[in-house]
Amino acid sequence: MENLVMETPERTVMERMEKGTAPPPEAETPAACTFEVKNLSIWYGEKRAIDNVTLDVASNAVTAIIGPSGCGKSTFLRALNRMHELTPRTRMEGTVLLHGEDLYSNTIDPAIVRRRVGMIFQKSNPFPTMTIGENVVIGLRLNGVRNQRFLNERLEKSLRMAALWDEVKDDLHKPGTSLSGGQQQRLCIARALAVEPEVVLMDEPCSALDPIATAKIEELIYELKSKYTIVTVTHNMQQAGRISDYTAFMYLGRLIEFGPTTKLFTNPTEKQTEDYITGRFG
Amino acid sequence: MIAPKHILGTFDEALATLRSNVLMMAGLTERSLERAMKGLAARDDDLCANAIADDEEIDLLEKQIDKDGVDILLRFQPVASDLRRVVSAMKLSSNLERMADQATTIARRARKLNRHPALAEAELIRPMYDHAMAMFKDSVDAFAREDVDLGRAVVVRDQELDDLNRMASDKLVERMARDPDQLRGYLNLIFVGRCLERVGDHATNIAEDAVYAANAEDIRHQSLAAAT
Repeated sequence: MENLVMETPERTVMERMEKGTAPPPEAETPAACTFEVKNLSIWYGEKRAIDNVTLDVASNAVTAIIGPSGCGKSTFLRALNRMHELTPRTRMEGTVLLHGEDLYSNTIDPAIVRRRVGMIFQKSNPFPTMTIGENVVIGLRLNGVRNQRFLNERLEKSLRMAALWDEVKDDLHKPGTSLSGGQQQRLCIARALAVEPEVVLMDEPCSALDPIATAKIEELIYELKSKYTIVTVTHNMQQAGRISDYTAFMYLGRLIEFGPTTKLFTNPTEKQTEDYITGRFG
Repeated sequence: MIAPKHILGTFDEALATLRSNVLMMAGLTERSLERAMKGLAARDDDLCANAIADDEEIDLLEKQIDKDGVDILLRFQPVASDLRRVVSAMKLSSNLERMADQATTIARRARKLNRHPALAEAELIRPMYDHAMAMFKDSVDAFAREDVDLGRAVVVRDQELDDLNRMASDKLVERMARDPDQLRGYLNLIFVGRCLERVGDHATNIAEDAVYAANAEDIRHQSLAAAT
């Protein structure tokens, strides 16, 4: 995978801990850090959606962002691949580093950022006029890849990683929209994986799915984290507890607490976190 | 600490019922131990029978608390302090049930002792009983009030109970050697002492669970943790 501007320096959560900006990892060994978010604030017009958030996202781990509606969690997620900029009258302060590179530097192409940092949305959105196969490799085609053998290999690899290959291998020519909701969401994950991103962002990826489809996506997230850094927004706290290694709790645009999921769900430090996760406010 | 009201009233009700049943079980266990020991001291078989009868009700409460705890875990998936309260309540009920079993054993031993002339050495057991019951009451108070300091204080008192038991046992063994005719009686008193020592162990467990429920801190087996 190409770098945006320069070679990425090695950053670790342990290094950031010394500066007080990272949660203590549960394991003794330091976890490498994919994102370093420093003093991030985002406004939509006059409204401040994110208020001075600082946190590090550990590599090859699942980080869940929880909080009540309107707390800024989706905005924060979108800031990690500059998608929030698609909303008019957006303004931001602070820095977001991806492996040490400033994603908001003037020399950075947002399109490349979004290729390196893929996004899965709440509602599956396969391209309705495309077949299952075309949906998966469209990102590569748009990037100029024409080698059919390479595309076929990447198609199978991506569908296998998304745990969908066995279900669709004989139907690749059928429309993507012919699949069930859960399969469509896994198709979108395969599409995101096809361009080999470093990070996969997920914005409530299971909220429109039934429990079985949800379980399959959760299992997939667990398997994907060995290769990818995953950041997910979820309203489902039990899901956050099941799938994530780290959890961030946001409220009114502020990061209230960030730490290992087990710690946050058994003994949160902040009373606001405790009240929210136990269902006493929000 | 009283938690703010939950959005789901049924969840608050379920937690309150669980807590209320644990405290009721603790009350019954305390009564059963008192009856068993009074049955021994006053040589009253009726009190011993009552202590044994209490055990059935306590067993039913243990099953009810386990069922309610599992239901809460299943239906509400509690987290943080709620999760710790449910887990601790279920562990408490298990310890209380075993304490009640000790009360039953004491009552049975007391009935055997009551068939023979009174032994003055029964008084050797009294300091152990006072100490074990004080530990028990404080451990339940620590749970009920989420009092971490009281819970910690109970744990360190267990050593004293062990020492009292050892001293009482040594004296009773000595008496057995000097007065073999009363061997069975002394042996029964040794078993009663052992039961009270076990009551202290269960009180310690309850105090440790109380600290975990209140503070999310596992204070069990601290000597092992220090060694590693």
